[in-house]
Amino acid sequence: MISFTEETRQKAFSTQRKPETVESQGLPHVRFHVEEAHLIPAGERPKKFLEAFAAILKHTNYRFMLDQYSRVSAKCARCSANCQIYETTHAPEDVPCFRSEMLLSIYRRHFTVGGAVKGRLTGDVGLTEEKIDELADSVYNCTACRRCTLECPMGIDHGLITHLARWILAEIGIAPRALVVSTREQLVGATGNTSAIPLPALQDTIEFLEEEIADYKGVEIKVPMDVEGAEYMFIAPVSDWMMEAETLMGCICALHAGGVSWTVGTQYYDAINYGLFYSDHHLEQVLHKVEAEVKRLGVKKILIGECGHASRSAKFFYNVFAEQLNIPVINILEVTHDLLKQGKLKFDTEIIKEKVTYHDPCNIARPGWVIEQPREIIKAFIKNYEEMTPSGRDNLCCGGGGGTVSIDELRPYRTLITGRRKAEQIEKTGAEIVIAPCANCKKQVRELLEDNEVPVELVGLHDLIYKAIILSDDGIAWHDPMGDDDWTPPDA
Amino acid sequence: MEAWIEFGKGPLFRLAFVIMLLGLIRALFLVLVGMVEAYHRAGDRVLPWADLHKKTLMWMFPVKRIFNRRPVYSIVSFIWHIGLILVPIFYSAHVLLLMNQSLGVTWWPVLAQDVAHILTWITVAGGVLLFLMRYIPAMSRRLSKFMDGFWVVLITAVFVTGAICAQTAVSAYGYQVSMLIHIYGANLILVLLPFSKTAHSVLFPLGQYAGAIGWKFPKGAGAKVRTTIGKEVNHV
Ligand code: SF4
Ligand code: SF4
Repeated sequence: MISFTEETRQKAFSTQRKPETVESQGLPHVRFHVEEAHLIPAGERPKKFLEAFAAILKHTNYRFMLDQYSRVSAKCARCSANCQIYETTHAPEDVPCFRSEMLLSIYRRHFTVGGAVKGRLTGDVGLTEEKIDELADSVYNCTACRRCTLECPMGIDHGLITHLARWILAEIGIAPRALVVSTREQLVGATGNTSAIPLPALQDTIEFLEEEIADYKGVEIKVPMDVEGAEYMFIAPVSDWMMEAETLMGCICALHAGGVSWTVGTQYYDAINYGLFYSDHHLEQVLHKVEAEVKRLGVKKILIGECGHASRSAKFFYNVFAEQLNIPVINILEVTHDLLKQGKLKFDTEIIKEKVTYHDPCNIARPGWVIEQPREIIKAFIKNYEEMTPSGRDNLCCGGGGGTVSIDELRPYRTLITGRRKAEQIEKTGAEIVIAPCANCKKQVRELLEDNEVPVELVGLHDLIYKAIILSDDGIAWHDPMGDDDWTPPDA
Repeated sequence: MEAWIEFGKGPLFRLAFVIMLLGLIRALFLVLVGMVEAYHRAGDRVLPWADLHKKTLMWMFPVKRIFNRRPVYSIVSFIWHIGLILVPIFYSAHVLLLMNQSLGVTWWPVLAQDVAHILTWITVAGGVLLFLMRYIPAMSRRLSKFMDGFWVVLITAVFVTGAICAQTAVSAYGYQVSMLIHIYGANLILVLLPFSKTAHSVLFPLGQYAGAIGWKFPKGAGAKVRTTIGKEVNHV
């Protein structure tokens, strides 16, 4: 583990954006690339920001939350010690309440009578270009992991405030290019998904995975495509099809072994929803695409692959925005856990010998949704398991939450600041393998282990399931998971 | 000075009390109405009610989490609140005042004198500690605005002067000066209560629910926002 020095700090907060370009083009002073900043020239941003803020207040429910939070914050700084950013930098500007106060003070000054009167009396000019830059930089420093909320006596949800601030900023063109470009491809692009994977490429990949499974596990499994009326529509973060083959093969094997009725839709196959990170409008639009596919196939439930934000955005918002309500949204770990409990999964408990630890993705653990299930699965076939401290609902964010993991120019910040505590935590377990059942966490944890020089392997839970699961070929023959012909199955 | 004291205890107190009451009711009403509206607009009304009740209770009696973060500050703050709530409401002289100011009160429980005195001095000591613990560490100093420090000073001043007035050994002049500060300070507290962070005195129990309901977004709001600000609805 590298030590945290002044040099590390400077590297983490360095920016790839050329100051002369930022100045000459009147771009916002933030460390990430902004796609649409030119839409609103410098000088007009405060006015446009307030217009967007007013429109959002008019059409949404945020006002009561702002009223509540701006009247209760005790400024006790208890939340500081729960934020992985503050815990690394110890900078007062990184206290969660300090960040939230940036937006709350704009609200009070411009949208409450008391604030307006006080502003007049004290000569406070109100929102300025600099304050917008500061806010924009700060809300993309926060990973919206909501850990700080656990320690706030007033229940202030800084993740929600960050979420709102990012939406207002996005409406005036200040959002990270990485998120905007992907969402554009997903919503109006030719491929309709964030990784721009065309359907034929997806079909090829699926065929390839089927062949891999046949070779490795000795069982022919067909991935069900466009099966109308299936129980589950399986939808993974689309990048997994290209980058996390073992995770998907693990999911396919578990669903097959459990005899689950499932299908992959060919008209829409991306669970990623960056709307959760910067725009309620896009959050809703992406979920409408999911809904269209659910309706086309007539499936009963939505099954999300190993991905925290994709699971949360579907579970907590699908039924908020959909026309056809009450479609259950399930995370793959829940289904696999269920199958295990029903005795439908068999594992070779000798395959994974390494010491393993588990990282809880914030989006599924913080609400108390998926915590015990993965642990029970792990304990079913992994003997050498070490828990991280803290974990579960209190887990530490990997440091790449809130969409920041997709912003490559923030990598030094993510791995050296926001991810540092996670790297320390992983190292402390002494584990050789860390499981992170989330596409975002996987990318982030891989990068932070590399940048902090912690030699631990990162995998998804279904990657290990893929290795250890014992499949029967229609109940006729068991196959050695490692391809050894002389192997005899354990008591199955 | 006597006349000022009487004015402060009489008409001014009644006015301050009414401002406080109406202000707090307004603050509570605004948030409650917003919450109920948001809840009814939501397509999906599933909320983890039991969990929210539990968290609310847990923070009212924060034994479980209090030691987790800034333990000394948190414990001092919690103890400080006990005197802060009990003494103004249940100290015998205050109760008499309530009954004499035709606020319609005919019976009210009263704290034993000794208990009230001990609580008062605990609150004073707590106020001094909280002030120091707010301004010594950089994180809370940077976070603090004028009112955050002012509240602690004001409350402590009101408690100190109240304690002085309760002493039999105090001179008549000393008594009058202390009483004047005590009464006008207390009236200022009442007036400011709804308009500052102290509104948490009534909003505190809504905190956990506000966060949970805050995440229930209304359908179609994004498109309406776009139309209002003149931006193309389908622009990505
Ligand atoms: S949401 Fe997470 S990253 Fe953001 S302030 Fe809170 S603890 Fe820190
Ligand atoms: S814990 Fe809550 S009240 Fe205290 S400073 Fe943080 S956000 Fe503010």
